[in-house]
Amino acid sequence: MSGRLKAEGCRLKVGNSGAACWALLVATSLMMSAGHALAADELQRREEQAMKAAVARVAPSVVRIETVGGLERVGQVLIGTGPTTGLVVSAEGHIVSSAFNFAQKPDSILVTLSDGSRHAAKLVATDHSRMLVLLKIETEAKLTVPEAVPLAEMRVGQWSLAVGRTFDAGQTNLSVGIVSALDRIWGKAVQTDAKISPNNYGGPLIDIAGRVLGVLVPMSPDGTGEMAGVEWYDSGIGFAIPLAGVVQVLPKLVQGQDLQPGVLGVNLKGADLYGQATTLAAVRATGPAYKAGFRAGDVIVEAGGQPVTRPAELKHQLGRLYAGEKIKLVARRGDGRIDREVELADKIEPFDFPFLGILPMRPLAGEKAAGLVVRYVYPDSPAATVGIKAGDRIQAVGGTEVESADSLAQKLQNLAPGEPVQIEVRRGSETLLLRPILGRLPESLVDELPPAHAAVEPPVAPDKPGETEPEQPQVGVVALKIPEFQNECLAYVPESYDPRVAYGVVVWLHAPGGLKQDELIELWKPLCQQHDFILVAPKATDRTKWQPTEGRFVRRALDDVMKNYTTDPSRIVLLGQEGGGAMAYLVGLASPDVVRAVAVVDSPMPRLVQVPETEPVHRLAFFTTLATKSETTAAVEAGIKRLRAMKYPVTVKEVGEQGRSLLTDELEALVRWFDALDRL
Amino acid sequence: MSFCSHRFSIRRLAVSPAARLGACALLSVSLLCVALEESLSAADSFAAVIAETQPKMVKIYGAGGPRGLESYQSGFLISDQGHIVTVWSYVLDTDYITATLDDGRKFEAKLLGADPRLDLAVLKVEARELPHFELAAGVPGEAGNRVLAFSNLFGVATGDEPASVQHGIIAVKTRLDARRGTFETPYHGSVYVLDAMTNNPGAAGGALTNLHGELLAMLGKELRSAQNNIWLNYSLPIEELRSSIEQILQGKFRPGEDKTTTKPVDAIDLAQLGLVLVPDVLDRTPPYVDLVRADSPAGLAGVKSDDLVVFVGDNLVHSCKGFREELSRIERDSKLRIVLMRDQELVEVEIQPVAEQKK
Repeated sequence: MSGRLKAEGCRLKVGNSGAACWALLVATSLMMSAGHALAADELQRREEQAMKAAVARVAPSVVRIETVGGLERVGQVLIGTGPTTGLVVSAEGHIVSSAFNFAQKPDSILVTLSDGSRHAAKLVATDHSRMLVLLKIETEAKLTVPEAVPLAEMRVGQWSLAVGRTFDAGQTNLSVGIVSALDRIWGKAVQTDAKISPNNYGGPLIDIAGRVLGVLVPMSPDGTGEMAGVEWYDSGIGFAIPLAGVVQVLPKLVQGQDLQPGVLGVNLKGADLYGQATTLAAVRATGPAYKAGFRAGDVIVEAGGQPVTRPAELKHQLGRLYAGEKIKLVARRGDGRIDREVELADKIEPFDFPFLGILPMRPLAGEKAAGLVVRYVYPDSPAATVGIKAGDRIQAVGGTEVESADSLAQKLQNLAPGEPVQIEVRRGSETLLLRPILGRLPESLVDELPPAHAAVEPPVAPDKPGETEPEQPQVGVVALKIPEFQNECLAYVPESYDPRVAYGVVVWLHAPGGLKQDELIELWKPLCQQHDFILVAPKATDRTKWQPTEGRFVRRALDDVMKNYTTDPSRIVLLGQEGGGAMAYLVGLASPDVVRAVAVVDSPMPRLVQVPETEPVHRLAFFTTLATKSETTAAVEAGIKRLRAMKYPVTVKEVGEQGRSLLTDELEALVRWFDALDRL
Repeated sequence: MSFCSHRFSIRRLAVSPAARLGACALLSVSLLCVALEESLSAADSFAAVIAETQPKMVKIYGAGGPRGLESYQSGFLISDQGHIVTVWSYVLDTDYITATLDDGRKFEAKLLGADPRLDLAVLKVEARELPHFELAAGVPGEAGNRVLAFSNLFGVATGDEPASVQHGIIAVKTRLDARRGTFETPYHGSVYVLDAMTNNPGAAGGALTNLHGELLAMLGKELRSAQNNIWLNYSLPIEELRSSIEQILQGKFRPGEDKTTTKPVDAIDLAQLGLVLVPDVLDRTPPYVDLVRADSPAGLAGVKSDDLVVFVGDNLVHSCKGFREELSRIERDSKLRIVLMRDQELVEVEIQPVAEQKK
């Protein structure tokens, strides 16, 4: 058909030529078109043949895996029991597969080889960095080991064929695509646009010659764990772990050694992966970076021989490395350069927040501060033990000058409970040198607190009449409109709001049944005024329950308030009751960059939430009520145990046998606890 | 990039005949060759087949399903008299079915017949001289073949707009009942599984062809595997459908017995074998043997307590429930072959039910 159309087009083009050559032209162009059509067919036939030959070449190494028993769900994903795929990597019976296939921790594993023989398999080791498993079957026969494509030969754009053995044991299944990218998922994977799914996870991604590019796995640049990336199945975004790399770590796996991603034990300043900041905000004393000599304040400028200016570049260098591997890091410290090799660790002990035992006074914006004035000293704290008193001015810690509460916090986040610290305190005309031993963050509530800042003078009216005052954000009861979301959101900003004062934020996540605006405001108005808080009360679309997807709306409402008012980043709190409490956990644990406390009333922590590791720079505390004989008692206690195991401070308030709302005096105590979240 | 490689290789293959012709023709002809060659690519070779095939496609509109299910599907012509093959679905469950041809003409379609076992229906519109597939010219395909899928997925095309076309390969040719209980569909024959996302709302009843435009199969409905919870893109080979279509066309069609679901009246059971499994407390309790009577058929065959039953015949069993289900498909007095896992070893045993236990 296209041949015909082409020929007609030609005739039009050459229509002015002499009549003599007319017949010849038409005849020739028709013949040529036929030649082209044949050539295209021939190409397609050959390509198809090449693909089938490639699959046939690798097929003897592609096995079918079936499992019996184990969990039915991992996280929120229903685990299938369908067959999956594996790839032979040793003639003696070693087989690699995707860890996804084993997320349900099966009781028994059965492998069917390409010749149809069945074997029981043992799980030998797991690679937690690449999300692979190594299996072993006992067999007399020598298995066929496929050829791996060397990393240097892989090219974006080359054919890539994904092979599984899941529909029938006797034949493979195939999906065709190209290599979309190399060095994906922080340097660990090859990306393909072939359709990757449980139908071929664990199987090989091969080139047109039948050599193996990699082992197919679900993966996600953000998530970790066996299930991360499964939501991208069949989407044209698929990943394979280069077999050439697997071969290198195979001896370790064969010996039953699990492999872990390598960690440095540092925190960077700023949460933006692509921001221009590789300054170490915290270096964990138990971590390898600290042992190699790196300290907070150092700026990483080079990693693994590559210049580094953004956190993402550092992550890219680290991502491919296993625990036990070494990386050369170069850091700038003042005018000097630190150049060290660091052996990465498999894990860092959870960070335990150290505690001096004071509350700082909060200077007003623009107020000249020299050192940190102590607002309150916790009874029986390290500070109380060495005699620090309210009104003292802390001038230096460990020999470094202290300019503000922030600089003291930064100093402390690189120390651990039990460590001594030297503190220089100015009291009247005296200067004292004290050496308290740091403690742990307290889990108790606090008594009456003195004011956190000097009384605020009303702003001076502008001198010249006619000059308008800068526009003030709304105060009192405010209806917040969050673009994109239909949810309503209420806020209360104290009428005395002054932009020079930093306000904490309490996000109230209501219990099923919604919220009664008037009662809520009446209850919170005096508390907000006394303790400098802004109350934000988002409403669930369905007042009877929160949807986990509404977490984005809650976070946006919080961001909105933080953008428009002067807020204190150390006192951002999520407070929820019953279903609202579950929401507080979900949003809080997903927003460690912003939220400093999660407080819940009558609500267990959802069992499925991931509790992130404690981060020195993101201090997070918890408050929960506990009823002793309620249906949820066990679940609440389990949540507390999980959080404390990760070294989070959890303040527990017992409320009797059955769950209930907080009484007024209990709520007052809770808000004082919120007020004291900037404790150091 | 895949297109680039086509283009590149086509040139290499195409140059020699073109050059030969050019050499023995006028100069203007060789200039023409270059112009032609420039415009040739894989897209051109698909274009011819696609242009020829699209007029054979039909958009079908009928009844909407429960919970807002779409009220349209796809079909294709198999005669110049207006016979249309499509899937049997709720869309056709109405008194008024509309078929829109590729040229935009709308017809009321009559349901000639349906074979629910094959998810197949044949419609007829009153029109003549229509472009169509020759049923007899349908060809088989195999894994690795590149294919084109024509359908009105998501109802994107309306009126005289041509059907949508997708490109992919046959991932595997398999049977839907290869994994019993996996797919909720009446059809249990062989299918082509595709590596393209063809089975979307409205696509069912579309046509699958090879790159020459030859009819391979009819696109199936949306189907999710109960085993691994993912969507399956499949189509029904034309050779599976041909005889039913012909019978419907001849007005002789009689729905046959669905033999795939019949179970024996008197099936084998655990007590008869002398087996007691561990208490079935979970949804998927692994079928471990708790007790075996020594003188029972199972005991005599060598089954021991703590053995895990993994296969009955060639079928993997995941649970006590699955084991009982497999047994219920086996005649009471027939031999039973099972594979057990014992200390990480697979042990195959053959159990011979005892004659006197048969009543």
